[in-house]
Amino acid sequence: MTSFISQSSRTTSTVWGLPQWFASKPAWLLSLILIAGVWAAATMGAVPVTWQDWLAVLKNSDEPLSGGAYVLWHLRLPRILFAVLIGAALALSGALAQGLFRNPLADPGLLGVTSGAACAAALTIVLLASSGIEVPAALRYWLLPATAFCGAVTVCFILDSVARWLTADSIAGLLLTGIALNALAAAVIGLCTYLATDEQLRTLSFWTLGSLAGANWALAGVLLITLVLALWALRQLTHAMNALALGEAAAAHVGVNVRALRMRVIMLVAVLCGFAVAWCGMIGFIGLVAPHIVRLLVGPDQRRLAPLAMLVGAILLLLADTAARTVAIPAEIPVGIFTALLGAPFFLVLLARMRKGV
Amino acid sequence: MTALHATSGLLALDHVTVMLGKRQFGPFTLSIRPGEQVAILGPSGAGKSTLLKLLARELNPATGQAHFDQRLLTDWSLAELSRRRAILPQSHEVAFGLPVDLVIGLGRVARAHDPYLNSIVQQAAAHACAAHLLERRFDTLSGGEKARVQMARVFAQLWDVEQGLLLVDEPLAALDPGLQFELMDAICSFASKRGHSILAILHDINQALQGFERLILIKHGTLVGDYQTSHVTLPLLEALYEVRLASAMTEEGEMIVAPSLKQQMLSNSCLDY
Repeated sequence: MTSFISQSSRTTSTVWGLPQWFASKPAWLLSLILIAGVWAAATMGAVPVTWQDWLAVLKNSDEPLSGGAYVLWHLRLPRILFAVLIGAALALSGALAQGLFRNPLADPGLLGVTSGAACAAALTIVLLASSGIEVPAALRYWLLPATAFCGAVTVCFILDSVARWLTADSIAGLLLTGIALNALAAAVIGLCTYLATDEQLRTLSFWTLGSLAGANWALAGVLLITLVLALWALRQLTHAMNALALGEAAAAHVGVNVRALRMRVIMLVAVLCGFAVAWCGMIGFIGLVAPHIVRLLVGPDQRRLAPLAMLVGAILLLLADTAARTVAIPAEIPVGIFTALLGAPFFLVLLARMRKGV
Repeated sequence: MTALHATSGLLALDHVTVMLGKRQFGPFTLSIRPGEQVAILGPSGAGKSTLLKLLARELNPATGQAHFDQRLLTDWSLAELSRRRAILPQSHEVAFGLPVDLVIGLGRVARAHDPYLNSIVQQAAAHACAAHLLERRFDTLSGGEKARVQMARVFAQLWDVEQGLLLVDEPLAALDPGLQFELMDAICSFASKRGHSILAILHDINQALQGFERLILIKHGTLVGDYQTSHVTLPLLEALYEVRLASAMTEEGEMIVAPSLKQQMLSNSCLDY
């Protein structure tokens, strides 16, 4: 029935797709910054990399790589790709969590989702070792993401139910729950540290600090596939998530199946956090900062927020990781320390601005 | 009391009860015809919002059956239902400061293919006197402007539909009288042009008496009256609110009521339904 519509102004509907957000200026700018960042990160480091090394890598000949070319191909490029992908995953999980809880401060790290994942992973390491079960190395890559995912999902569901019986939209209640969950996870991780052997201790401290040193091509490939699948799953969700901003009841009134939407978003957040934590440990604040920057750039429409936040998250973590491994050459500072150093003050500024109602 | 037998109509409740914790509401039996404009009146806590939530499918019936357009309300999918009925909520908050045009467009989020979206958003905004707000962010609006934008969202939702249902939950209470009438007027003209039924919870008795053809009276969690507006008498309303009312006639012959200055609580037994 079109009798109530003036036919003259027919326009295409705004279905979110790659062409549309790439057409926007911020998307182009951010992509250029990311490419420049990748080049800079590849060049910087303890071993100098020249353009001949790039050529050697690109030529793809059979002879083994040497010197700078070896470092570039086997160490630096996979790590850069890893940083980009993990940054994107963390930023996306942040954007999703904020949309789900209808609050710009709802970061998976602050809410305890990442520490829940880390807690589950730490338990797995210590319990497996003490029970004497030998896990093949190939399986270990998958075991930790799986258990980390379980930990993240558990925390998400606890948050979800708590957010329901607290007063609606009470971010204070949500963050306090996050504090409690963080403390609980920290206690369990502490217990694991106490029980751990020296070798396990090193793995555990790697988690609590966060590092991208474990990067290799295989992990980066898996992460890339995961992210592409997440993006695909996201296509149908982003506009419905906009409706969530109206409140749960109103979102249902305009035809959004809120329960199914929440479930899918929680699963996505948990998968992204699970992978990131299992392989890189707890890298905080990317999920808080990246979506916020994007909101300042293009506004809060989830259809643009989600993909652009991934770009910004990738840039941020790439910069942080490059700084982490070049500031104190030849030593390497865990990147989680860097993101926390920059992110925590940012969070305080955000809090102050929210109080003023800016 | 004139109970309508609920078998047909756009919306039909047949001895429906709802449980809210341990409290039971209902049984409600009523039927709304297409295009009918009905106001729900009753004191605070009487169960008006609960009835509306039942009709909005936020609450499910404990017993009895609720039909919408001859089909069980629970058989409709949320997306299907959203293309036939819209709800104007009591509160107006929207998170993140979304742009106004996006908020209005969200009324149509359940439509997979919506080629006229932009033009409908423009027209719905104009009809709700919110066209000048389209470029703004929702969180920068005043209370009255937020109400207009939410109304435009509801208009957009049912813009190209006929014989839909509009549920309204006292959205105008906090607005000044001039704006209240302007917006109520916009709702009524929007609905009557398309044959939508309106079911509105109102606190302002005069708004109900003047703008609506039928009044449903609710008290103590159940239906106590269902009248054509012209049949509503002062004693009925006094018994409903347990307050002494004074009335006057307008030039058009419509009744206006106000709480009497000589306040005196009426006991429940004063008038028996």
